[in-house]
Amino acid sequence: MTARQRWFANGEWVLLLVCIAEVVFFSAVAPNFLTLGNFFEITRFSLELGLLAVALTPVIVAGGIDLSVGSMMGLAAVSFGTAHQTWQLSVPLAAVFAVLVGCAGGALNALLIARLKLPALIVTLGTYSLFRGIAEGITRGAVNFTGFPSTFLFLGQGYLGGVIPAQLPLFVLIVAAYVALLHRSVIGRALYAIGFTPQGARYAALPVARRVALVYFLSGLTASVSALIYVAHLGQARSDAGAGYELDAITAVVLGGTSVFGGRGTIAGTLLGLFALVSLQTGMHLAGWPAELTGVLTGVLLIATIAADRHIRRAAHARTEERGDVEVKNSQVAVLCGAIFAAALIVAGTNVWLIRAVSNGVRGADGPQASAAPHRITIAVMPKAKGDPYFVSCRAGAEEAARELGVDLLWDGPTGLDAAKQNELVENWITRKVDAIAVAVENRAGISTVLRKARARGIPVVTWDADAEPDARDFFVNQATAEGIANALTDEASRLLQGRGEFAIITGALSAANQNEWIAFIKKRLEHSHPGLKLVTIRPSDDDRDKAFAETQTLLKVYPSVKLMMAISAPAVPGAAEAVRQAGRTDVNVIGLSLPNINKPYVHDGVVQTVVLWNTRDLGYLSVYASALVAQHRLAPGARAIDAGRLGSIEVRDTQIILGAPLLFNKSNIDRFDF
Amino acid sequence: MTRTETAASHVREWSVASAIAALMLVLTVAAPGFFSRENLSDLLLANLPVLLVAVGMTLVIITGEIDISVGSIFAVCGVASGLLSKSGMPIWLAGAAVCLLGTAFGSLNGALVAYVGIPSIVVTLATMTALRDGLRWATEGAWVQDLPRSFQWLGLTQGRYPLVATVVTGLITAALAFGLRHLAAGRAVYATGSNPAAARLAGLDTSATRTCVFAILGTLTGLAAVLNAVRFNQIPTNAGIGLEMKVIASVVVGGASVTGGTGSVLGTVLGLVLLAATGPALTFLGVSAYWERAIQGAIILVAIAADGIRRPSFRRLVGAAAGARA
Repeated sequence: MTARQRWFANGEWVLLLVCIAEVVFFSAVAPNFLTLGNFFEITRFSLELGLLAVALTPVIVAGGIDLSVGSMMGLAAVSFGTAHQTWQLSVPLAAVFAVLVGCAGGALNALLIARLKLPALIVTLGTYSLFRGIAEGITRGAVNFTGFPSTFLFLGQGYLGGVIPAQLPLFVLIVAAYVALLHRSVIGRALYAIGFTPQGARYAALPVARRVALVYFLSGLTASVSALIYVAHLGQARSDAGAGYELDAITAVVLGGTSVFGGRGTIAGTLLGLFALVSLQTGMHLAGWPAELTGVLTGVLLIATIAADRHIRRAAHARTEERGDVEVKNSQVAVLCGAIFAAALIVAGTNVWLIRAVSNGVRGADGPQASAAPHRITIAVMPKAKGDPYFVSCRAGAEEAARELGVDLLWDGPTGLDAAKQNELVENWITRKVDAIAVAVENRAGISTVLRKARARGIPVVTWDADAEPDARDFFVNQATAEGIANALTDEASRLLQGRGEFAIITGALSAANQNEWIAFIKKRLEHSHPGLKLVTIRPSDDDRDKAFAETQTLLKVYPSVKLMMAISAPAVPGAAEAVRQAGRTDVNVIGLSLPNINKPYVHDGVVQTVVLWNTRDLGYLSVYASALVAQHRLAPGARAIDAGRLGSIEVRDTQIILGAPLLFNKSNIDRFDF
Repeated sequence: MTRTETAASHVREWSVASAIAALMLVLTVAAPGFFSRENLSDLLLANLPVLLVAVGMTLVIITGEIDISVGSIFAVCGVASGLLSKSGMPIWLAGAAVCLLGTAFGSLNGALVAYVGIPSIVVTLATMTALRDGLRWATEGAWVQDLPRSFQWLGLTQGRYPLVATVVTGLITAALAFGLRHLAAGRAVYATGSNPAAARLAGLDTSATRTCVFAILGTLTGLAAVLNAVRFNQIPTNAGIGLEMKVIASVVVGGASVTGGTGSVLGTVLGLVLLAATGPALTFLGVSAYWERAIQGAIILVAIAADGIRRPSFRRLVGAAAGARA
């Protein structure tokens, strides 16, 4: 390999240009993108992902793949929680146990791949299900370990010297170790050789199986360390930790120029890839653009970068073939590259400075006018998941309130349920300095730290749909308590079954916090008020209509005596209803918690008897209304009622704004609602 | 393909078949209700679309490529079929148009892989996120509702539709299985996967072959999306999440090697039967839902580890036989 190839082989220059372009672009568009504070915030939430990406680099360089890293994070997080809270081990001991679990998982992958010579893709596809499954099994999906000591939480939430995130040194250390392993050791060279041609590596007397085993072992180990940081960061250990991280990590690795065929790639490239990915996401949030666009742009970026890299390499290849090999000394190349790198830094630096100066200038020019016109309030509202029909209908109400009040509405959230993403967005909004934040909380313990930070910076915080810790927010817009929902559903079931009979529950994801709380209250209500009812089983639907359909089909056959299906996730009710209808089981009732629109056909056909829900449109409306009032200092603690536009006077109890009791939709009234 | 490889791939088919047999045996004793006619026909109907995608995926994996964007293409095609049918197009025509849409997505993937030279996992990772998030952006999560009456069951009755769907899927599967074994085009797929350089030197257009297999997978995914959508009267926009994992797992458990060159339609069918039967079987056996995912992962590992353990001795055996003949 010539020195020339070593320096230019990985298309890192292309990526560096992309990164610079992103930084320049977003500093011009997004307020507060280019600040030291934001830089450290970006670092903080990308560290867990970064560790996985760094650990995956040697795996992919050696021609393998590890899809199980995200699931390993879930398993390690749950192991840590169990060891610390159930077995009452001290934090260091529990951490050691979690890391041991990570090592064991890595060793299992290593054994199957290196020793039994099974394809890495299929082995880690299996352990991907296995690890996550064990984590779900241990916690029964529901247990959420919280209440870790603050010394441990400091690792994920604290700052060293007031600015540097506490987990950064650990990350730097691990990265340094990986750089040493991959780029500065004989083992690293062996990995490249194995990735390049395993057969050749064996003929060169390299211990192929042992080297391959090592990278999978290390990847399990690093995933467990990453899980510890994740737990410290969010303050909670749950079985869904790190779900979906494996694909993001692989994206960062291949974006960084690592070849998925093995034999090529660097840690530096991976870090650049990670930076490109994360600054794209953060920039989009700060600019207030829809999060869905990020996925589209990531896809385009991925293809464009790799295609440009291929193109340059092919062109270079063609040139060398024409001219023959150009002999350049290592030292000369190093000097040349150093010069180019320095020049790039200078250009980047001047650009950044220029853009900042220009945007400051613009801001300065705008200043007087802005103060002459009244300051337009921006209210940032976050749903739990953007694509969910439930939250889509809340959005209509939120927009209505924003129009009436003349405020700007910033509606953004994770595309799927994702506690870590919610934290990240709130951090972005603090950086962006919005006037009020309203959050539908996915995870109570996880988000409270960052919400407290927002309040400390003078941004009022309102929670809606689900609450955070009471001291982390100003007000909670309470649509209906978990107990209220559970009681309404259970009483309705009892009425339909006339007090006796068996029923089954179709829930959302097994680890969904809301649903698990409802199930707990449903069980309580059964015990106290409806002893004649029997809950035979709980099945997951993962918020997927088709899965709810299939589960219900099977349930109807396995438990023929079940006379009622209670579906407690919005897409699950139509799924269960369709299954009951197709089976022709007119003796089975379907009730649940869902939206009127998607259930209208079934309610009219008499398959679904009752749908329980509050008016989601009003919920979105009230959340924005209350946030605006708090932001304008027109709603302070101690208020007994607020005047909320078209909803009239709304009761305030302590710091809770009460929307009203849940609605029961049935044949007689469902056509009056459109959401 | 050498003798050893043929034999080795059959080892996998046998271990999967014995895993299925073991599962069936347990079910016959513990939960005979599993074999009721309704249950089997429900399972069949639910998995026909998955089978179509898995058969297409087999071709792609045999050429040594992979496609993880099928779940997103599935969702986009499902929504498209609903929108077209709502605009008044007869469902047969809408179905054909959606298959074409699938072909277009597949060809795009294939062209980027074969002619631009980007690794398939990168291309399809990109199209997976781009299509999924693009769909979310365009629909804002709203389901397609108020479909015409003729949409559900393709305008047939609930009783007749399963027969039509089964026949269509069966014919396509059989045709691809036959073509892969006996037609020149099918052998070109194996040749491209097992040694692309040699295939090119032998005069095969490997780039065209690659593009074609992706296009076929896209078409089948479009068809699968239609067959799945017509079982319901409204279409959610988050369909097909995780479909790629299910399909790839079926193909590789069925013996196809992700490095290309080996695999068969029969193996894929067996792999899918094992994976698709496991979930409902565990419900029938009364296993708690919380342990189900762990058990499914373990079954995949056991099914493949079995032939990993057996293979070395098998190799020695073949080696000894070859030695004796020499």
